[in-house]
Amino acid sequence: MDTAAPDATGVGCRRAWITARRDCGPDAFVLEVEVDDPPPPQPPGRFAMLSPWSEHDLGPGPVIPRPFSIYQRPAPERFTFLVQVLGPGTRALDALSLGDHVALTLPLGNGFVLPPPERPVVLVAGGVGSAPFFAYLEERRAAGAGERTWLLYGARSAPRLYDLAAFAALGTPLLTATDEGDAGFHGSVLDLLATELDAGRLPADARFAACGPEGLLHAFARFCRVRGLDAEVSLETYMGCGFGVCNACAVATDPDGPLGAWPWAKTCVDGPVFALEALAP
Amino acid sequence: MSDASLAVSVGGLRLSSPLLTASGTFGHDPAALALLDPADLGALVLKTVTPEPRPGNPPPRMAEFRGGVLNSIGLENKGLDYWRETVAPQLERVPVPVVANAGGHRIADYVAVTTAFDAMAGVAAVELNLSCPNVDGGTRFATDPGALREVVAACREATAKPLWAKLSPEVSDVASLARAAEAGGADALTVCNTMRGLLVDWRARRPRLGGGTGGMSGPAIKPLALRLVWEASRACELPVVASGGCQSAEDVLEFVVAGAAAVQIGTAAFRRPDLFSIVARDLRGLLEEERVGLEELRATLEPSPPVS
Repeated sequence: MDTAAPDATGVGCRRAWITARRDCGPDAFVLEVEVDDPPPPQPPGRFAMLSPWSEHDLGPGPVIPRPFSIYQRPAPERFTFLVQVLGPGTRALDALSLGDHVALTLPLGNGFVLPPPERPVVLVAGGVGSAPFFAYLEERRAAGAGERTWLLYGARSAPRLYDLAAFAALGTPLLTATDEGDAGFHGSVLDLLATELDAGRLPADARFAACGPEGLLHAFARFCRVRGLDAEVSLETYMGCGFGVCNACAVATDPDGPLGAWPWAKTCVDGPVFALEALAP
Repeated sequence: MSDASLAVSVGGLRLSSPLLTASGTFGHDPAALALLDPADLGALVLKTVTPEPRPGNPPPRMAEFRGGVLNSIGLENKGLDYWRETVAPQLERVPVPVVANAGGHRIADYVAVTTAFDAMAGVAAVELNLSCPNVDGGTRFATDPGALREVVAACREATAKPLWAKLSPEVSDVASLARAAEAGGADALTVCNTMRGLLVDWRARRPRLGGGTGGMSGPAIKPLALRLVWEASRACELPVVASGGCQSAEDVLEFVVAGAAAVQIGTAAFRRPDLFSIVARDLRGLLEEERVGLEELRATLEPSPPVS
């Protein structure tokens, strides 16, 4: 099932309009948009490409759109995205106002492989890497597995634990870590994970999943390989299109892994969620 | 809405719309057609196929700059055998003509791929990628008129299907290359491909692409493409398919006036896969407004270009 093509039902570029925007942290915001013709419900971990809308050409903003995990779906026709302002693509979205239109191409990518409710799950997020996990936690809670689903949420400092109150309000177990030590565990989220596992407070037979900065994901992958943990990672690579046509978002694969002998996978259609054994060590 | 016809004829191929995808920007297979309305697409131009598998270049493979992107994919593709088995059968169900794109290092490579395309029922025309900037020796056929004529002539022998030669912008005299393609027996020209550029991460003292340099595309290269379309279309009798920076109906009409019979949309569709429908709608509107047809507008640019 790791090699299945993403579900293309309802995929398309839609004109959406901004219905809400909420700042969170020093450099991020939650953007809520609405569409007329929403796609069916989506598994957690799928994503969208966003850019300012233009009626006749590309209009203002960057030449290529930017990928964002589907963060929340407060109503069938509404989606939210957790946006950290980093460069021209996200600045163009930051500059938009309520009612402005955006080009929204979704649903894209594969999403997480959800384990059965009785199996515990440990999610590890760094900064805006928490974005795909909100829907994952909601899904688990709805399946009656909320108490067996931990989120370990790490960031440089407390204000960068984006939208922490919303995660806390889910009522699922939540542990935080900050490099600066101003909230939760003082140290990296991986050190927190090791500490909790070693103390027996987290089950080693859980399904693990991580999303966050590249450095964190590399360290997480090493950590899981050394300990033999069953894990997935949700990657963000530089993407041109998001729907499999530009071949820019290549990620090196394990030739003996489930994705086969070809040395590359496309993050946008083969991922963004990869089983650890699919990726080159 | 208006019912102005957008149908055009390109080197033996009748297309319901002058808007085509551009090779390398719309995938190896028809999967991405799910994202657009094929009614507004004249033809599906697919990514280059080479005889042998090519893993392509190391990431990062794309970087953005103001006005465009630089890419260094390196013709990643799983090779002709894979394509023949898995992609070719799907093409017969594609609702628009499919233009398959052949690449390689040697004449024999181009001939092998062209021969295979000729046998595929789902392939309506063959485009020769004579100008990929991201592979070793990729521009040799594009810069030497003799070599270009030779490879086109060899592929002409290999197929009765319409044969398009995709030219490079990195030449001092595109007219001589256009005439060489014509002499070799091409049915149409695609003008142009990306142009090599460099983006730098000065803190790291490194190029921003894994492949070092890369091919520039996007709105920034439109004036370059317009100039080349103008020069190439005046240099020979072949229809010219424009490719380079098109993102609107106005752009399409600029290319048509400069001499293009059809226009490929590449980089702009990354951001807006629905752009083909937007541009087709706007084109109909503009043509209706001006009470003019595409064929009438074609190659009406004055005055004469500089001596070439």
